[in-house]
This record gives sequence, structure tokens and C-alpha cells, in this order.
Amino acid sequence: MTQFAFSFDVSRCSACLACVVACQDQNDLIVENIAFRQVTIHEEGELSSVKISSLSLACCHCGDAPCVKACPTNAIFKQDDTGVVDINRDICIGCHCCELACPFGATKFAEDGKMAKCNLCHSRLTNNLEPACVKVCSTKALKAGPLEELTKQKTEKASVIILKSLITTQNK
Amino acid sequence: MISHPDLSIEQLQEGKISGFETQIEIKKTTCAICSANCGIDASVKDGVVIKVEGTAENPANKGTLCSKGAANRQYIYHEDRIRTPLLKRGGKNSTEFEPISWDQALDIISSRMLEIKDQSGPESVVFFSGFPKRLRPFLKRLAHGFGSPNYCTESSTCFYATLIANKLNYGCAGEADIQNSECLLVWSTNPFHSATADVSNLLDAIDTGLKIIEVGPLITPLSSHADIHLRIRPGTSGALALGMAHVIIEEGLYDSDFVNHWTVGFDEYRKYTKQFTPSATEEITSVPAASIIQAARLYASSKTSSLMSGASPTVHHTNGVQNHRAITALIGLTGNFDRKGGNRVIPSSHYGFNTRQDEFEQSKPWSEMAPRIAQEVLPVWSELVEQAQAIPLPAQIHSGKPYPIRAMLAFGLNYRMWPGSDNMKESLKKLDFLVDIDLFLTDSAKLADLVLPACTSFEKNDLRVWSPNYAIWTEPVIKPVGESRSDINIIIDLADKLGLDDPLLKQGQEACLDWIIKPSGFTISDLKAAPGGMFLPEIETPFFQYKEKGFPTPSGKMEFCSSILKKAGYDALPKYVEPKHSPVSAPEMALDYPLILNTGSRLPMFMHSRTFRLPWTRALRHDPMADINPIDGERRDIKTGDTIKLSTHRSSITVKAHITQRVPPGVVAMFHAYPEADVNLLIEPDYCDPISGYPGFKSLLCEVTKIMDD
Repeated sequence: MTQFAFSFDVSRCSACLACVVACQDQNDLIVENIAFRQVTIHEEGELSSVKISSLSLACCHCGDAPCVKACPTNAIFKQDDTGVVDINRDICIGCHCCELACPFGATKFAEDGKMAKCNLCHSRLTNNLEPACVKVCSTKALKAGPLEELTKQKTEKASVIILKSLITTQNK
Repeated sequence: MISHPDLSIEQLQEGKISGFETQIEIKKTTCAICSANCGIDASVKDGVVIKVEGTAENPANKGTLCSKGAANRQYIYHEDRIRTPLLKRGGKNSTEFEPISWDQALDIISSRMLEIKDQSGPESVVFFSGFPKRLRPFLKRLAHGFGSPNYCTESSTCFYATLIANKLNYGCAGEADIQNSECLLVWSTNPFHSATADVSNLLDAIDTGLKIIEVGPLITPLSSHADIHLRIRPGTSGALALGMAHVIIEEGLYDSDFVNHWTVGFDEYRKYTKQFTPSATEEITSVPAASIIQAARLYASSKTSSLMSGASPTVHHTNGVQNHRAITALIGLTGNFDRKGGNRVIPSSHYGFNTRQDEFEQSKPWSEMAPRIAQEVLPVWSELVEQAQAIPLPAQIHSGKPYPIRAMLAFGLNYRMWPGSDNMKESLKKLDFLVDIDLFLTDSAKLADLVLPACTSFEKNDLRVWSPNYAIWTEPVIKPVGESRSDINIIIDLADKLGLDDPLLKQGQEACLDWIIKPSGFTISDLKAAPGGMFLPEIETPFFQYKEKGFPTPSGKMEFCSSILKKAGYDALPKYVEPKHSPVSAPEMALDYPLILNTGSRLPMFMHSRTFRLPWTRALRHDPMADINPIDGERRDIKTGDTIKLSTHRSSITVKAHITQRVPPGVVAMFHAYPEADVNLLIEPDYCDPISGYPGFKSLLCEVTKIMDD
């Protein structure tokens, strides 16, 4: 199984919040006005040294997902092809055990009392389309794909930065 | 359409995947919530939009959108959409309307407008456009065809004052050529939240070494990328620019060749900048002297430097035009005007390339019409801008001087655009006849005698061209909601009812647009063949156009000393004066109102008042909140979420506190246009820049106090 996941580049996120709404539009989160994705802004430092940064977080599609273990009816499961943590809402009993277990607050509860969550736009993914939140992201802070590919991209990006600094140091 | 054998129909439907199995079709349109007009792929099933995405092949947004654009479904299908023409019952103060037919509505409008024209002259009827942009050439043509010089728009508070400043300096404006630049000076604008879909290019340029100097009191998403961030006291841009010029001149970093050959007034300018030493400039702007020197050196000594500013932040001050002149003077001073990697001149028509828009709009010369509103008071505006300034409109409605204003035909009117918005609201009630055309029955529409329902961009034909060369002609992707109609078609129908002798307008929108874009060599039919839009043949715009033709100023050169300003009785140099109400200029007032109020800076989920009513965007910032620095909050025992009173010497509003270092100490930022907390109530109607008439939205004096909950 290839594990799919999100990746996030904190240096590019502008807290524009488009990912939150694109997800709501894709998933028809209209009546409840709940959101599967949340953007949190954090301020660090004071006056001239202040830094404001933001993180967009949804379900992390954990490898060893606590919500899957906590679910008494096996409504929450991992998709075979992608490792996406998904839910069969037909057998969810709305017990909130997953909410207790999830360290990220990724489980949401709809008006029918049952859990609803991000499934990495599983049917888009298997149809070679990016998840709605990734497609909408103008700064490319948010990406999705096979975990190995995502980490490889991050390693390459970091390596280029390291190489550039080494070259600059050498030239001095 | 593509078939998807691996997925069940349920899965395809759940994912809203287009195709034969799901009967979901992707139709191309544009978003019209802001003027970026991003390309939209609307997923349509059974005549209903079920999802939106950005158009991948559109170079303007490359498949992306912002939070507002992504919320388009809640905009187009909002329950508050007006569905029929509405006629007010029971007098001016009533808010009761009855549905009437389009025929009845257009008959009433034309007969009332013609009656008022007969009695008081065509100039007593104002033609106004709020935020909508595409209809403007048509509305201006209608106004002048009717005989009224009083065509005015929301641009009375947006963009034109920066254009005036540029025209005074250079005769035209230059856009930042970021891709070829080594250093970008970003002056009080936040492209991440005002042009969200267009920032990937900027980030990529930063990744490959573009240096960033950011100027502005607020921390923006750009700040963490900036090499230098100069957090000025609001309203002191002019002083900072003059301080930078001082360093550039003293250290011999200016382009003496350009200055000697292509400018006038340099000696006086040089003499004037002498007083703006780094330490004197620090005193005024609160920016450390060392940072001013560092920024001036980086901007002036980079091989190519460009300047990016917003449409309005630098000019929403009572000293706005001169501030912006001082800022843009740095471009010429360093030889970066109309140069590769500097600020280059591109055609500035509504459509992004050379057109006959001006001829189309100005269907009658100014000389054949009465003077515009405030033409005498704002001579520079009237000389450089081809429309009336709307901010003095309420004053003329109240005074009836120099002639009465009795009626207004408005598209997307929002009286909360005006400083002292209650004053504007009262003036609208004095009109004999007010028509508003809108999507929703807004608070302004409720003041109208007659309201017409417009439709959204998803429901109509439209032409959009993105600079430099991508264009789209949209077909409606859904049927209009209710009986709503395209704004341009409403104008064309009205022209007919008013009996305008205008054969071109009679031929309809498409024929008019073909006439306007004729010099471009393509037609609307060409665009129809490419539903998602198409690239037009690229027009080479040469650099250094002034070397051929000179500058389009009275002297033919860049003017450090403006001959137009001198003639009109203003300071010819870009002189710095304090904002009318600042801690320095109004120390008495500052005893009671010690904080600086900065209003209207962009928030990512709102576009003026347009997306307040959408549950998705509203949930992202539910309450009207004033941003307050922790230091100022602590002094007043105010914490995030507290109910507070935000007041100026004019009035006060009740909002929630949001404690954040986004604003520097001593500054309070408040978003505008909230119906329940309208910050423009706090600003005097005449708190304006003397040259442009622009309101000083971004620097005045205020105080915040905690309201104890019972």
C-alpha cells in the first residue's frame, strides 16, 4: 500500500483561508457550516522581532491512526489503495470516541450526530485530481501525494538551500 | 467526456467528478467578487452549480482561488438575492417593496428621469457605479448620452488618487516588472490577501533571490519574506520616501543621467529633501534611521529595482496624493522608470491593451455638459480623471449648490463607502428619485424608490482580458436567478427607454465590445471559439518609451515640481504634511484619542461588504473586530474577545477586541463596511485629501475602551 498524505510548507502559507472554504464547497459542508480544515495563526516574539505564521491542518491520515483503533463499530477505516483514513457513515453511531482519540481535532460532527472528516478527497485522488484544498492553494504551501514523494520534495528543497549557503560561504 | 471505469458512480458523484456517468459538466466563467476576476471552472449538474474550482489554463489564477472565490456558490445562490424589480410602497422612510414587472420598472425609471431632466437639467441626475467594473464604459456612455456629466464610481475612493500622483510625476503610471527585478519595494500593500491567486510568481521570485523591502505599519504574509520591513506610523509615507531620497541623493546613488536629461525641478526637490535626514525622518515615521539608510541603499544600488504599491493604502490619507508622489518619485530618481526590471509603462485601458474605450465612454465632450460635482473644488481631479468625484456628492445634495442633485441611478450602491456614512445616507433620502441595481436588498438598496435585480457573473455574458494578453468571453453557466438581468443589458434597455439616439448601444453588448476592442485585431467571435479563454497575440511594449515621445506631462519630462499642481495653487513639490488628525498635528485631540485608527486593510475572507452574508466566509471572522497591539490592550485591560467601544471625536461603534501584533503599538486597525459596526461613522465627511478628494481612511485619531458586560 502506498500511504498518501498532505504536506505543508509553513514558509509559503499566507493564511488566505481558501483551503478551508474549497473543502467546504467540495464536501457540501453547507448546512452545518463545519470545516474539515482549520487554519491557526501564531504570533511569536515582540515588536521588531515579531513573526506571524500560520498552519493549515486537517486529518493527518496517520499510519497507525488512533481514531481507527478507538472506533467501536469499525466505521473508521484505512483505504487499501491510499492509506487514507475514511469513514463509513452508515455504521457510525456518533459516540465521539474518535474525537477523544484524535490528537489533531480532525473529527467533526454533522447535524445528524455522526462523525464527518477529511478523506483527502479520496475519489478525486483516485481519479488523478488533487484534493480541493490543494488545488485551490495559490502559494503551493499545501500539497498532497504519496508520502515518499512528498518527503523527497522537501529533502530536495532543503538541500538546495543548504547548497546555496555553502557556495556563498566558499565564495567568501 | 472522459469515462472512469475504476470508480463506482457513487464514488464519482461523491467526488463531483465531471463526466458522462455523473452528468456533471464543467463550464467556464469568471469570479466577479473582486476585480482579479479569476477564471472559474463551474461544475454544473441539472442546471445547478455544485462546485467551483479555479481554471487551470488561465494564467491569472492557474487553477487556484481565494476563500471568497471558493465561496461563490453561497454568493450566487444566496437567499437574499433579489428576484424581481421592486417598487417602494409608502414613502421615503418605508422599507416595504412590491414586485413589479421589468416593463413597468423601466417605464417608471425613464419617465421620472426625463421629468427631472426637463425640470432641473440632465446634470441633476447622477449615474453611479459601486464596485462593479465591467459595466462602467456602458454606464458612462449612458450618463453622457443622457446629458449628465455626473458619472461617478467607487473609484472615487480607489486607485484614481494613485493614478493622479503618477500622472503628476510622469504623465502615466509604471507597473512593477517583478520577473526582471533584483529588488522589489512593496509599499503598503498585501498582495497575499488582495490578489491571492497571483502570488505564486512573487514567491517563486523570492525563492530565486528577489530582495524585498516592505513598507507599512501592518505585518502581512510578505513580512516574513522581507529583507527589510519599515513599519511606519500610518500617514507618514511621504516623509519616509523623502528620507530615502535624502540618503540616495547625499550618497550619490541616484541616476544623474536620467535626472539631468529627463526631469524638471530636481534642484528644488534636492533642496527640500535636505531636511529629511535619517534621524529627522525617524522622528516623523517611527522607522529607525539605520533601517531607512539600509533600505535606501538596497533600493538604489540594486541593478534593477521596482516599486509595487496598492490601489489605495498610500492615498487613503489627508496627505495622500503628495505622499504617493514622494514615493513614486523614487522610481525616476533611481532611473528605474520604464526600464526592464523597473516600473514599466503598459496600456492602461479597462481591457489591458489599446482600445477605443475612451471614445466609447466619452460619448459627449465635457464642454457640452454642465460642470461636474465639485469641479471647481477639485481642479486637478477634474483635469486628470474622466469622471466626477463622488465623495463631495452628499455635500452638493444637501446644499443644492452650485446646482441641485435630484436623482441617482446606481449600480451596487453602498453608502458606507463614504466617510461620515450617516451623512451620505441622509443625503440619499433627500433625493427625489433613487434607483439601485444590486444582487441583494442591501441597506443602501432599501433607501431606493425602485430596485432592480442584477445577476452574477455566472449568469451572463462578459468579456474579461488579463494583462498582458489572455482573454475570455463567458457564456452564462446557469440561468439567471429569478428575473435578474445582466447589468450591461439593463443599461442598454434603459438607453432605449430614455430615447437616446445611440445606434451603437442599440446593437447590444457584443457589438459595442467589438467596436471598443477593434484596434486589437480580434473579435468576440474569435473568443467564442475558446470557452476557457485564449492567449491573444502578444504585443511588444517597448521600454524607455519616453526617449521617443517624451513624458506626457506639460514639460514633457518627469516633474519633481508639478506644473499642474502649481497652476492649481497647490505645492508643486511632493511636500510632506502631517495627516490632519495625528498625534503631532492635533495634540489636543490626541489627549482623549491617543491611538491611530487605520481602517479598511484587507482581510482575506472579505471584499468590502460583498461576502459578509456568506456563512462560509463569515465564519472565518465572525465578529467585527478591532485589531489592537498587546501593549495598548494591556494598558486598557482589554483582551481578545472583549466587547469594546471604538471611538473618535465624531462617533463610536461597538466591536470585539482582537489583540494582535499585526498592528504596531499605538495603532488600531478596523475593517470597514460592517452594517452593525460601520467604522466610517467615525470619520468626518470632509476628512479628505485636498487634491484628490480621497478620504483619510487610514490615519486619524481614536481610542478604545472596554465595555463591561452586565
